[in-house]
Amino acid sequence: MTCKEMLNTQSFLDGELDGADADAAERHLQSCAECQALAAGTADLGDALRGATRFRAPDSLRRRLGVALDRETRRAPARSFWLGAASGGGLSALAAGFALFVLLPPTAATLAQSVVDAHTAALTGGKTIMIASSNHHTVKPWLAMHAGISPPVTDFAPDGFVLKGGRMDEVAGRPAAVAVYAHGNHDVDLFAWPDRGAPLPAGGMVRGFRTSFWKSGDLDYAAVSDVDAGAFRKFVTLAQHQRE
Amino acid sequence: MDDRRRRFEAQALPHLDAAYNLARWLSRSPVDADDIVQDAMLRAFRAFDGFRGGDAKAWLLTIVRNSWASAGTANRRRGHTSLDDENLVAEEATPEASAIQAGTRRQLDSMIAALPEEFREVLILREMEDMSYREIADVTGAPIGTVMSRLARARAMLRETAKACL
Repeated sequence: MTCKEMLNTQSFLDGELDGADADAAERHLQSCAECQALAAGTADLGDALRGATRFRAPDSLRRRLGVALDRETRRAPARSFWLGAASGGGLSALAAGFALFVLLPPTAATLAQSVVDAHTAALTGGKTIMIASSNHHTVKPWLAMHAGISPPVTDFAPDGFVLKGGRMDEVAGRPAAVAVYAHGNHDVDLFAWPDRGAPLPAGGMVRGFRTSFWKSGDLDYAAVSDVDAGAFRKFVTLAQHQRE
Repeated sequence: MDDRRRRFEAQALPHLDAAYNLARWLSRSPVDADDIVQDAMLRAFRAFDGFRGGDAKAWLLTIVRNSWASAGTANRRRGHTSLDDENLVAEEATPEASAIQAGTRRQLDSMIAALPEEFREVLILREMEDMSYREIADVTGAPIGTVMSRLARARAMLRETAKACL
């Protein structure tokens, strides 16, 4: 006999329900053995699937794409090409087409944009990590030496966020230290930079990535990732409560 | 570099890995995945003026999925080399990964690859790309109810196979 509520229980487990619907589903779950088995099975499967391959676009594809987009850009808006050529920037703009795939240019946008820019530039360039180590005793001094910033660095592996390493980066044109974590197949970046008294963005979704900002001690922090909402909240809580 | 190109690179390119992952799991072939993604990215770039903000990832994956669907007939006619195990693990293997982990990964990958296409795609979008039912419905063009039942079925099938294999 199959429980009629199973799809509803699945929606609850996937975080698709809220309010009264979520409460009702939770109550049902407490009393239905079949749905409890589903919950356990779904959780186990989700954990197991983090070990499956999440493919990354190969560099050869990125290069081909760069060339194809250059061709498109040249063909379609003739106006901007001639404007560029007239100002002597035509050729360098074309050449920059390649470089942009490796590193997106810093924009004069807001802090939130800048942090997401840095995160995505690292992702698209495949350069998320400059020092690869799961040992915080290695990552912290490296960041201190190279970025001149020494935030606390903790491996949250027991809570599902594995320290992969660190890199130095830029946020709004100033140096930032980044601790890089893996949650399943997803990257989570934890940025830190000296607090210069600037107000921080509220956080939330920016171009498909979750962001959160806070101040602690004399540093500003930002977390950026495309993990789901629950995991992101958990990471932010862990990061906010780590000790020196 | 014109403004459109710059905006495209800032908004769509960060989701290139997600696009490739979906194409790779749909086609189960690195060569086809390359073609699908390149085709999709060019389509996306040409259609980019029509994109009015919102969820760039879901928008891009919808185009990937359409590119796959329109290439689908040709692909199926050509027939697939089944999932090449070495190919699958080679790109993501980390030096620390133990033989056991690599073995489990291989098994998992081939279990997912063996799922029928309509179940495989909802599973990838939910479990790897963390998309909501609404987003998955948008990408696949299926009603939400269908997404839910396919997801349940996909998970049940995987749990069955896992019980037998892992």
